[in-house]
Amino acid sequence: MTLESIVHVCLAGLSTGMFIWLVASGLTLIFGVLGVLNFAHGSFYMLGAYCCFTALSALGGNFWVGLLIGPILVCAAGFIIERFFLRYVYHLALPYQLLLTFAFVLLFDDLVKIIWGGGSLGSPSVPGLSGSVDILGRYFPTYNLFIIIVGPLVALGLWALIERTWYGRIIRAASSEREMAAAIGVPVPALFTSVFVFGTWLGAMGGALAVPYVGLLTPGMGESIIINAFVVAVIGGLGSLKGAFLGALIIGLLSSFGTRFLPAFDMFLTFILMAAVLLLRPQGFFGKAT
Amino acid sequence: MAKKGWTRRRFIQAGLLTTGAAALGGFAKPTGLWAATPKIKGPIKVGYQAVMSGTLAGYGDFHKMGATLGMEEINAAGGIAGNKLEIEFRDSTLKTPEAIQNARYFVDSWGADFLAGVDSSGQALALAPVMAELDKVLMVTHAATEKLTEEQVFKNGVRQIFRICNATYQDGNAAAFVAKDLPAKTWATVSPKYEYGYTCWEMFKNTLGKLKKDVSFTAESWAPFGTTDFRPHINTIMDAKPDGLYSTEWAGELITFVKQANQAGLFEKIKHVMFPVGAAMDVLEGLGAEMPDNIWISGRYFFLYPNNSRNNEWVQRFRKRWDHFPAYVSETGYSTMFAFKKAVEASGSKETKAVIQALEGMQMDSPAGPRVFRKEDHQAMYDVPWGLTVADAKYPFKIMGKQVMVPAKECFNRPPFEGDASKPPF
Repeated sequence: MTLESIVHVCLAGLSTGMFIWLVASGLTLIFGVLGVLNFAHGSFYMLGAYCCFTALSALGGNFWVGLLIGPILVCAAGFIIERFFLRYVYHLALPYQLLLTFAFVLLFDDLVKIIWGGGSLGSPSVPGLSGSVDILGRYFPTYNLFIIIVGPLVALGLWALIERTWYGRIIRAASSEREMAAAIGVPVPALFTSVFVFGTWLGAMGGALAVPYVGLLTPGMGESIIINAFVVAVIGGLGSLKGAFLGALIIGLLSSFGTRFLPAFDMFLTFILMAAVLLLRPQGFFGKAT
Repeated sequence: MAKKGWTRRRFIQAGLLTTGAAALGGFAKPTGLWAATPKIKGPIKVGYQAVMSGTLAGYGDFHKMGATLGMEEINAAGGIAGNKLEIEFRDSTLKTPEAIQNARYFVDSWGADFLAGVDSSGQALALAPVMAELDKVLMVTHAATEKLTEEQVFKNGVRQIFRICNATYQDGNAAAFVAKDLPAKTWATVSPKYEYGYTCWEMFKNTLGKLKKDVSFTAESWAPFGTTDFRPHINTIMDAKPDGLYSTEWAGELITFVKQANQAGLFEKIKHVMFPVGAAMDVLEGLGAEMPDNIWISGRYFFLYPNNSRNNEWVQRFRKRWDHFPAYVSETGYSTMFAFKKAVEASGSKETKAVIQALEGMQMDSPAGPRVFRKEDHQAMYDVPWGLTVADAKYPFKIMGKQVMVPAKECFNRPPFEGDASKPPF
């Protein structure tokens, strides 16, 4: 066991974890504020990737332009879902919300097949970030280092938004005391729409950032990541952004070390961890006990 | 289970037929020459299933192109014994229940005479007992597990299954024959975490271990289906520092793996790399210039082999029709239609029993060269080369240069069959 090996296993785990965090952040935000477990979040991830790909091919191949425009296009889908569908089931039991959002997963999977075809699309590399850097004698992709930096920045930005701005204050108010907030003049429905669209944007952003990372776009690509994102949201404590960040870090490192040192169990480690957390601390790391 | 296939539709059909036959029997009994002449009532219908959605949907398209071209050429030249050939395609989705449902639909509802296709080994194995019950011939054009022919056909006697593509023998045994001449002493693998990945690596290890005493196998990493991040697997291999890497990753996942291995500098450190299914067109086209040089690749067929007019003209026709180079499943799909044609015309019948008899031991010419269906296990024997990737100005992707041929009869002789093909070389 060399230092080189340990460092690279850690780096691989960090980049995996930060990817899961980027997707789980939107999921957690939406649950924390709206109380909706949004199954379609994986679809936002997939749509983000595809829209980014299309935007960058249409606009001369600049990844950064695709990254800017792609997720914004997906926000339209988020707006429609919240404004015209989800709004009418907030007062119903959780299974109704799950069924509704799951229906959108199926719709979006087929939509992607209709628009982009059933096959896979090869993705481009990012100028300036496409190479690798030599770390202790083994190469690590620059782009993955970039993701390792972007992840905490997004966490910091979200924390600042929610804890330090006026918008964050009314979000917190509306999520804990919906009726009281409405009574003192907070436009709760519009606020919820804006939070859902913002969560959509975060998921789509994760997908767009994944374009150069996974190297291949396929219909249904959201499914594997959404399972991890759900696990992360649950063990972190549903609705806790802090918990989701920590959970994503742990899951990322666990899968990297697991694949390297416990290959026979690598597929189960995540679920073993989830089972352990649910048994010992059912509300998750930072969840509120009910 | 046998009762289940006896659906109401078939019951009514059978009832009507017997009544009709009894009514006609008195005055329309065929006599003389007419009764002896075999009569094939067309059209000949082939139900073809392949994966048409998901990561591997590109394969379905290539199956379809090949089979459709075969059908068009056969029909333009007068069909099969004067009957029109018809194909219906269905998405197998790679899921086992779907494969069985498709097969039942084809036979019970659509009236298929033959079935073809199937990409996944798991699906093919699950279909075997169903085919015995439906009693129609299934020509497998892609799924490679040797258990299909060794266990289901040879041991369990499911005579309805044939395979026109080559099996894991090519991916495991033939790879070992190539590897024994390489200077590599230590080998490692990153392969798919399912039946196909495990079997190929086992076969490669066994055969290479017997052919060359001083090799060792130092690391293995198994990537579950749907892996998009191969970095942890690449770390395992880089830590083991092997001389050679053997990987049966395929299609989109092989593309992702190669891209990420490039970034990690894996091909600079490991000089001998073998991709048994690397010569698939979707991989070569998908990677383009990103496929490194001097990688050993193979497949079920490669469009530059054999270099004869039969193959070259076929590749030209295929390109003219589809604007693509034929992938290996295009060749197997195409040749399947001609195998059916030859068997039906030789036996003068499209009845399953007669067709099986005709197919057993049948020789045919195909773009991939001459093929023989081994009588014992219904596996087609034909030669496919291994070769090193190289850039060529004529193509926008890397091609298979420096071809090495391990003849099928040398690497296909693992199972315990009787006859010439069964003598082990080691």
